[in-house]
Amino acid sequence: MLIELKDVNKTYNNGQPLHVLKGINLSIDKGEFVSIMGASGSGKSTLLNILGILDNYDTGEYYIDGRLIKGLTEKQAADYRNRLIGFIFQSFNLISFKTAVENVELPLFYQGVSRARRHQMAMEYLDRLGLADWAGHYPNEMSGGQKQRVAIARALITGPKILLADEPTGALDSKTSEEVMQLLSKLNREDGVTIIVVTHESGVANCTDKIVHIKDGIIGRIEDNRAHNASAFGTATIMK
Amino acid sequence: MKFDIDSFREIADALVRNKSRSLLTGFGVFWGIFMLLFMVGGGAGLKQVIGSNFEGFATNTAIMISSQTTKPWKGFKEGRYWSLTYTDVDRLKLMMPELETVTPVISSWGTSIIRGKDSYSGSYKGVYADYVKIEEPQLKYGRYINETDVLQERKVCVIGKRVYNNLFPEGGDPCGSFIRVGPAYYQVIGVDFSDGNISISGRTSESVTVPLPVAQKILNRGATVDLLCVTGRSGVRMTDQEPRIRQVIARQHLFDPSDKQALFIINTEQLFTLIDNLFTGVNFLIWLVGLGTILAGVIGVSNIMMVTVKERTTEIGIRRAIGATPRDILSQIILESISLTLVAGSFGIVFAVQLLRLLETIVNSMPDSAGASFQIGFWTAVLAALLLTALGVVAGLAPASRAMAIKPVDAMRDE
Ligand SMILES: Nc1ncnc2c1ncn2[C@@H]1O[C@H](COP(=O)(O)OP(=O)(O)OP(=O)(O)O)[C@@H](O)[C@H]1O
Ligand SMILES: [Mg+2]
Repeated sequence: MLIELKDVNKTYNNGQPLHVLKGINLSIDKGEFVSIMGASGSGKSTLLNILGILDNYDTGEYYIDGRLIKGLTEKQAADYRNRLIGFIFQSFNLISFKTAVENVELPLFYQGVSRARRHQMAMEYLDRLGLADWAGHYPNEMSGGQKQRVAIARALITGPKILLADEPTGALDSKTSEEVMQLLSKLNREDGVTIIVVTHESGVANCTDKIVHIKDGIIGRIEDNRAHNASAFGTATIMK
Repeated sequence: MKFDIDSFREIADALVRNKSRSLLTGFGVFWGIFMLLFMVGGGAGLKQVIGSNFEGFATNTAIMISSQTTKPWKGFKEGRYWSLTYTDVDRLKLMMPELETVTPVISSWGTSIIRGKDSYSGSYKGVYADYVKIEEPQLKYGRYINETDVLQERKVCVIGKRVYNNLFPEGGDPCGSFIRVGPAYYQVIGVDFSDGNISISGRTSESVTVPLPVAQKILNRGATVDLLCVTGRSGVRMTDQEPRIRQVIARQHLFDPSDKQALFIINTEQLFTLIDNLFTGVNFLIWLVGLGTILAGVIGVSNIMMVTVKERTTEIGIRRAIGATPRDILSQIILESISLTLVAGSFGIVFAVQLLRLLETIVNSMPDSAGASFQIGFWTAVLAALLLTALGVVAGLAPASRAMAIKPVDAMRDE
């Protein structure tokens, strides 16, 4: 198993303690394409942040590739995030005063890769995502879809094992959403990247092979969706 | 921490691409360093300008002038007039071996000095040859009054710069020419270009100096002299000698030795000490105000960077999420702070130096200027730069520690 969660609990202690994750057990294998669905406030983002080592959990165990992720030093955590995990955010989270190619380069900067080498690599990735012409543009000169593709290039550039996306299509229209999802499934198929997507949209979830439902902080039903017939874009009940 | 070209480009990018933020932040430091250096340079220049007034003056000199007595003494009433005489010269020489030179001066003001159709109104001074020990001449042409001139009562003179410029507008060496001062003709033997402003009995530049016995006869002075100038031997402090001098003179002329107004003594040592103290005070103020301004600037940098860090929470969160360690963030913020302070400070240094140069040109283009230097020293500038780096670190500390506290999850939070 690439990812293994055993009885993971998380409580937020801002004033009123809020028990958000109440014993999560979840295994995800290498090369899977998984979506996590659930009502607002059910703890999807919290779970994803823990998976991405952006946040700590209180009790339980979390293994990546057999390595226990607990009590890491800041340096180790940063290193894992840098090399093992790629992130895609709903609001793209590009650095506004950097051009597309500079944004894509940034993870390599923190690895200490030379300027010329990382520029070359960033250009390759942008080219793969069809954005070579936009390399010199700043985020505010690009459309949402383009920005999300830049963010995907940035997430991919370190060659991570896991790609985590928190509502990657949340700020996109349905057509662009579909393009982004197709891009992700292509990456999953061709490069074997393990992808976990948090989403509200059944259409988005339907693109994935496995749908994990989370309810009130525990894992509910896990749907096998390799047939991709849960619901399609535009045909489900609650769609954009 | 990665301290390579790349980190600096990263920082330069962050600063250059957020221009208004950087400008705003740097201005305080720029202004602080500019103020400090400008005031330091200006203060040094001012000191030189004032110091040039004493040019050519021996630092260990006292000048005596007789005046009305203000205290009754030995049956004499106060308010009596008396005068210094040639006997006082001999007596001081005899009784006070601490004194190196004792030399009298007689003078008259507003004398017309004439050569052909050119004339100038200046002062007329009679001195002995050893007067050079009191006020050193800067001879442009010729020589000064010597012993022989005095002994033979030669009708020769040394003229000041202004006198020379007015009487010899064609320039060149005037030695050998004759000029008329009052009723008599004198042969010019030298031109004194010294520029001091507190020369005794009229500025040197505006005077004609002749051998003392000549002036004595022309002015009909008899045994009295106008001034007595003395210098102490090296190691002798004039201030310590003053009471003895007063006693020697007072006994002879029958006035109260404690009557300070009867015998007026100007002591250059005291004068110089006074001016030195004044400038120590001024310097202290300059540094106080200047450092205060820099400090205010640095606090400004710290403050704005603090706000900036808050504003950049998402950016920093993103950096953390994609693999920056807290140390990466710390070094970035501190280096940003140092760069900002250094660049802004360097502009301040350059601007201050340029403005001081301008000031120097203006001051030195004025007539009477003695070529004062308004510049700050090289080491002052280096010190300032080092200070700026240190202050940059200090200014960056608080914002950096706040930036370090930003967690990767913060990247996820919108607004
Ligand atoms: N940093 C935090 N401090 C305190 N409470 C938090 C924090 N982050 C999230 N929560 C709370 O934890 C609960 C779960 O939040 P989470 O963001 O995981 O939900 P979600 O399933 O992603 O919801 P949505 O679909 O709206 O994004 C919510 O009630 C939220 O208010
Ligand atoms: Mg969420």
